[in-house]
Amino acid sequence: MAQVGLARQRLARVVPTLVLVVAAVFFIAPLLSMARFALQNVQVFQLGTSNLFKNWSFSEVTRAFHEPAFGSTLLLSLRLALGTVLLTLGLLIPTALLVHVKLPKARAAVEFFTLLPYMVPPIALVAGVIGFIRPNARWFVSSNYSLIPFYVVLALPFTYRSIDAGIRAIDVRTLIDASRSLGAGWGTTLRRALLPNLRSAIISSSFLTATVVLGEFTMAQVLLKRTFPQFLAEFGRKEARGGIALALLTLVATTALLGLLTLLTRRKGATGRRGGLAETLTAGPITVPSERA
Amino acid sequence: MIELIGEDRTATGAVPPARRSWAWLGLVPFFLFLLLFLVLPALGVINRGLHTTSGSYSLEPLGQAFSKERKAFLNSIRISLLTAALGAVLGTLLAYAAATARRPKWLRSLVTSFSGVAANLGGVVLAFAFVSLLGAQGLGTRILKEAGWDLYAHGFKLNQFKGFSPGVSTAYLYFQIPLMVLVTLPAIDGLKQSWREAASNLGGSTFTYWRRVGLPVLAPSMLGGFLLLFANSFSAFATAYALSNQANLVPVKISFYLQGDNSSGKSPMPYALATWMILIMMVSMAGYLVLRKRAERWLR
Repeated sequence: MAQVGLARQRLARVVPTLVLVVAAVFFIAPLLSMARFALQNVQVFQLGTSNLFKNWSFSEVTRAFHEPAFGSTLLLSLRLALGTVLLTLGLLIPTALLVHVKLPKARAAVEFFTLLPYMVPPIALVAGVIGFIRPNARWFVSSNYSLIPFYVVLALPFTYRSIDAGIRAIDVRTLIDASRSLGAGWGTTLRRALLPNLRSAIISSSFLTATVVLGEFTMAQVLLKRTFPQFLAEFGRKEARGGIALALLTLVATTALLGLLTLLTRRKGATGRRGGLAETLTAGPITVPSERA
Repeated sequence: MIELIGEDRTATGAVPPARRSWAWLGLVPFFLFLLLFLVLPALGVINRGLHTTSGSYSLEPLGQAFSKERKAFLNSIRISLLTAALGAVLGTLLAYAAATARRPKWLRSLVTSFSGVAANLGGVVLAFAFVSLLGAQGLGTRILKEAGWDLYAHGFKLNQFKGFSPGVSTAYLYFQIPLMVLVTLPAIDGLKQSWREAASNLGGSTFTYWRRVGLPVLAPSMLGGFLLLFANSFSAFATAYALSNQANLVPVKISFYLQGDNSSGKSPMPYALATWMILIMMVSMAGYLVLRKRAERWLR
């Protein structure tokens, strides 16, 4: 009996460990193979023990930089990201504050609308742009920056969550009353009392928005806008190794930024400030999908 | 909004505090924005998807779109069912393994942080990663071949859209499993040690515990996660398109017909397909949200 119990206990530990090891292999393998493709100039079929450590270099990583479209597409994507972040914050902070302070009855309606983008994935939204908005406002859709409002929509479910969580975590009413009783106007209250306390939520939602925009492919591709992901796909079709190298670089840059911002938001968040990046990423249905995007 | 108007009306007898009655005006930009850039385009899609070429309302375009692109629907549904089912099971297992592992303290936060990144990874970067791993010239392909498993000799192709599309499905699992981890982790944390002790005190085996307590508690999260993953996979465009712009999947077909539509074209085809897409998203996401509410019951 005792032996059976021991064996079972050991089995109970072996299975989860096995799951973790298999998962690690599955999730790391594509990244490693991508790194090898990008950094080693040896064809896969020639690869053997003799040349395993030969011809490694960073030359392929920088190849994309010489493409004329590299700079212009990256710049466009960065501008779109900035525009989307500003519009998101400008639209959502007042809305979420208003709901919290004055219109708690509107909360359900607002939250319902922030979940709507889940029902209309990017490929369906872009069909709406071409089928409904373009015939009515061709001048609008022909501008590259027309993507901004749609990117705000795509990011809405989690940007709203993040900002809302940040607002719930602070005592907005007390801050407003204190600030107003000291003679501050609404503008000063917002700027000097509320926004500094929402810093963590603002940083994380801005960052999430930016990653969505920098990875969004569907709408840009269908509307023929030359954004960075569109350039990446095109470049990879032309130069397999260069494309993989650029994809790896993109991934590393995004992850590094994510790590940095997790640190930025955690330092303050540790004292119980909610709406930080780590929390936004690990809570609820965060289908940001740059995939679906 | 309706409630707000009601509130306003009840205040008509007495003089309402001015700032209160006008506060709802502050929500106008938000709703107007969503109306313009989400609701109207979506209604426009459905409207055009329900118009025949001659301009009359009918359900016919929906039927036509389905029968004309039956293959794409079948491929999309198969991939989505497969990756949602596998993703749900494997994601739950992984979440459980990460949640119960005690030894490396950082393991759990590593798994959740990585899941946060990987669930949102996708599109072009993911496609390229899998080309480098499982393409004809992929490193994984070569390693498997050395180990005696020649994928390409058995008709495997990374960008093949047939049957369960093993190549694409494998790539999709890269974001499906992590998404499931994020969805089920709270539910797994909600499994209390005391339930397990209670079960064993009453003479229940580990198997009985899982069958009578563990799985019933996890079931709403797992089923909800399955629906979320199904929706996620069904609407995925970028990864499939980057693997092959000829991909025979519903989202890629929509883009194909859209780019053929030079606005003078009256074909309801892309809009009918997109209407199907919206309908499928609505059903599965509504199911997910309902089940999530149910799952949260045990988290209090």
